[in-house]
Amino acid sequence: MSATAASNDVMIRFRGAGVTYPNGVVGLQDVSLDIRQGEFVVIVGSSGAGKSTFLRTINGLTPLSTGTVEVSGQPVPRRQGRDLRQLRARIGMVFQDFRLVRRVSVLNNVLIGRVARVAGWRSVLNLWPRADVELAFSALERVGIVDKAYTRAGELSGGQQQRVGIARALAQEPEVILADEPVASLDPVTCHQVMEDLLRINRELGITTLVNLHFLDLARRYGQRIIGLQQGRLVFDGAGRDVTDADFQRIYGRRPEEDDFLQEAST
Amino acid sequence: MNRPAPPPRRLGLWLTILIGLGAMTAWSGISIGFSVSELVCNAAGGSRLLRESWPPDFAFLPRLIGPFLETVQIALIGTVVGAVIAIPVAVLAARPVSPNWLTWILDRNFMNILRTLPDLFWAMLFATAVGFGPLAGALALSVFSVAVISKLFSESVEAIDLNLTEAVRASGGSWLQMIGLGTLPQVWPQYAAYVLYAFELNVRGSMVLGLVGAGGIGMILETQRANFEYERVTMIVLAVLVVVLLIEQFSIAVRRRLT
Ligand SMILES: Nc1ncnc2c1ncn2[C@@H]1O[C@H](COP(=O)(O)OP(=O)(O)O)[C@@H](O)[C@H]1O
Ligand SMILES: [Mg+2]
Repeated sequence: MSATAASNDVMIRFRGAGVTYPNGVVGLQDVSLDIRQGEFVVIVGSSGAGKSTFLRTINGLTPLSTGTVEVSGQPVPRRQGRDLRQLRARIGMVFQDFRLVRRVSVLNNVLIGRVARVAGWRSVLNLWPRADVELAFSALERVGIVDKAYTRAGELSGGQQQRVGIARALAQEPEVILADEPVASLDPVTCHQVMEDLLRINRELGITTLVNLHFLDLARRYGQRIIGLQQGRLVFDGAGRDVTDADFQRIYGRRPEEDDFLQEAST
Repeated sequence: MNRPAPPPRRLGLWLTILIGLGAMTAWSGISIGFSVSELVCNAAGGSRLLRESWPPDFAFLPRLIGPFLETVQIALIGTVVGAVIAIPVAVLAARPVSPNWLTWILDRNFMNILRTLPDLFWAMLFATAVGFGPLAGALALSVFSVAVISKLFSESVEAIDLNLTEAVRASGGSWLQMIGLGTLPQVWPQYAAYVLYAFELNVRGSMVLGLVGAGGIGMILETQRANFEYERVTMIVLAVLVVVLLIEQFSIAVRRRLT
């Protein structure tokens, strides 16, 4: 079991982690688990189950109300500041809505991944050090769209934009990548391409990767390990290939429906 | 399905507003001693003035080039200085990206004060400091530009996509980087449009300030008027009209391409 992994190879450790939002909504409740270095983990659960909350506690975008989260042994700082920025520099994030500056070139979007390593004034004045530009280019090469480096991000297709989003995360040279429903806005074919990219990067670079997904077939296919959340609670934690429809029923609190699959044929 | 009944026409409300406005205008007119008969009597003097003002003195035109340049230069300096200062002023007053509540409140009020006071006031203020002249004019227009641009621009900044700023913060970016890389790139087109608009206003403002001694075309206009050189005055007015229209058309054309 991963929860009992030797502590020296634990990348992320949750202990009694809970999030209660200021309006009283409970987003996460008493979650304890370990994620080992290099794992590819898929988090599933219905809408509102707490998947985003779970991911966002790891880079401190959402602060914990109770318990602890540690990233390679260091607790996630609760307060804004240098410590938190330095932690975030080691964690790349990929978003459902890409979050690219559409008017700006692909290269400049990827360079945002370098913010924590470059002096503020240099980055803001677009005077990026050569080495950082080089890193941005290799990140674009890794996701296969280096030819678009000088294109405006807004002119790309959805799939290409998400690759830029991944390249931005890669440019951080991160130890962890958090992807919050990275394929939810994409068509089925592109969906698989982006998932393949994430998996390949995980294998090639050994970056610990956590992906929120809401399609069950995608989760089963790509998730080496699947974590199920329901109403903020951990309700499943196991290997992707072993997960059964009964497990999914438990995670969703209902029988899986057509909408829960990307392609009905594949199940 | 039944068609809905039309909403009631609020005739009474409109009538009240109309009567109210009429009464206020009448009251104001009486208060400032506005009288139709006086207007008619003075029309004779007015027509004499008009006759003396025609034809425009085209020979005077070459001597206007220098002052025009000075007017535009004053406007340009005011716009550039104001545009630069307006960026931080606008950003700090945009609630979602302002670093904290206190900064936001202070900056908001600062902007309100700037906006409440007219450019003529600033010109007088700077004139007492640096003396009447082009410098006081340029300084006054700088303040005026900060007021105009920061007001419009901070509204644009408030309407940005905040998710992008979160992407910068998620990568470990500082506040400055969140502004410089996640916020401002979203709103540069609007900013450029507001700066051009401020320049239009400043060219006109620069002429008015000239009347009170800030130099440029306004000053020439004032000296010629004081010397009863009405044909030259007409020439100046015509030239001003052409220059202002040209600058406005240029600015509108560029702004249209920007947004
Ligand atoms: N910023 C917030 N303020 C208040 N409630 C929130 C906030 N973000 C999420 N929630 C609530 O927390 C719960 C979990 O949300 P989320 O983590 O976004 O779930 P998921 O990503 O699985 O759809 C939901 O009930 C949601 O409405
Ligand atoms: Mg979510």
